[in-house]
Amino acid sequence: MLNYSSRGLDRVFGALADPTRRRMLERLSRGDCSVGELARPHRMSLPAISQHLGILESAGLVGRRRRGRVHRMRMRPGRLLQAESWIEEHRAAWEGRLDRLGKFLSELQSKEEKL
Amino acid sequence: MKNKEEKGLVGREFVIVREYAAPRALVFRAWADPAYLSKWWGPRGFTNPVCDWDARPGRKIHVVMRSPGGDEFPMGGEFHEVVPNERIAFTSGALGADGAPLFEFLHVVTFEDRGKGTKLTVNSRITSAGPDAGRYIGGFEAGMTQSLERLGELLAPPTSG
Repeated sequence: MLNYSSRGLDRVFGALADPTRRRMLERLSRGDCSVGELARPHRMSLPAISQHLGILESAGLVGRRRRGRVHRMRMRPGRLLQAESWIEEHRAAWEGRLDRLGKFLSELQSKEEKL
Repeated sequence: MKNKEEKGLVGREFVIVREYAAPRALVFRAWADPAYLSKWWGPRGFTNPVCDWDARPGRKIHVVMRSPGGDEFPMGGEFHEVVPNERIAFTSGALGADGAPLFEFLHVVTFEDRGKGTKLTVNSRITSAGPDAGRYIGGFEAGMTQSLERLGELLAPPTSG
């Protein structure tokens, strides 16, 4: 049985809905970095950056390690696998739909043959 | 928009290829004619009491799927490209309670001859996903049940006369 946590997924999608956060994740997918490095490409105040990071953290997409005063961020890909399985569910739904189309087509054809 | 680098949902895609023992014009009609489409759209056992499906570029799509238990799943979208007997490109997505899409896929459906039959390719790419997209997962329980039923049929095929 598939075991989805719906609220967890809501958080993941909420986190991914923002372009700044997607760019942060993209940066982290290439390797760990400090909060400062993560903030650099964005024209934003540090509190704003922290807020975005907080959303990514509570969605479970990134983790934080403290080394003295420096906070290092890293990506936690497990949550994205859940997003992956969401897509897989859609694919499965489409497979079922196309099976149904096949059945419909053969019913149509057998009707035509009888006419 | 180039989303290849994004690690989220947007830009992800799947491709399904099927071959049907039916002529291309008929397979295309099953997609382009709402009277035909409503007979097979959605999970098994679902009906489509609303099927606004006028396959012409720029036309809006509105389909309401109804489960055997009476739950309704509205879907919206728009046709982008329609080339008779060759290709249909359209967007679609489940609608939330407020009527706004929870997420959106761009589907490109292509039809090709394969002997006397037809090769159908469905390429589906997610183009947007709102914060409530994950909630729609519940709607697919029907799809899961259906897969299990299908497995049962494969293991014990019905004897045909």
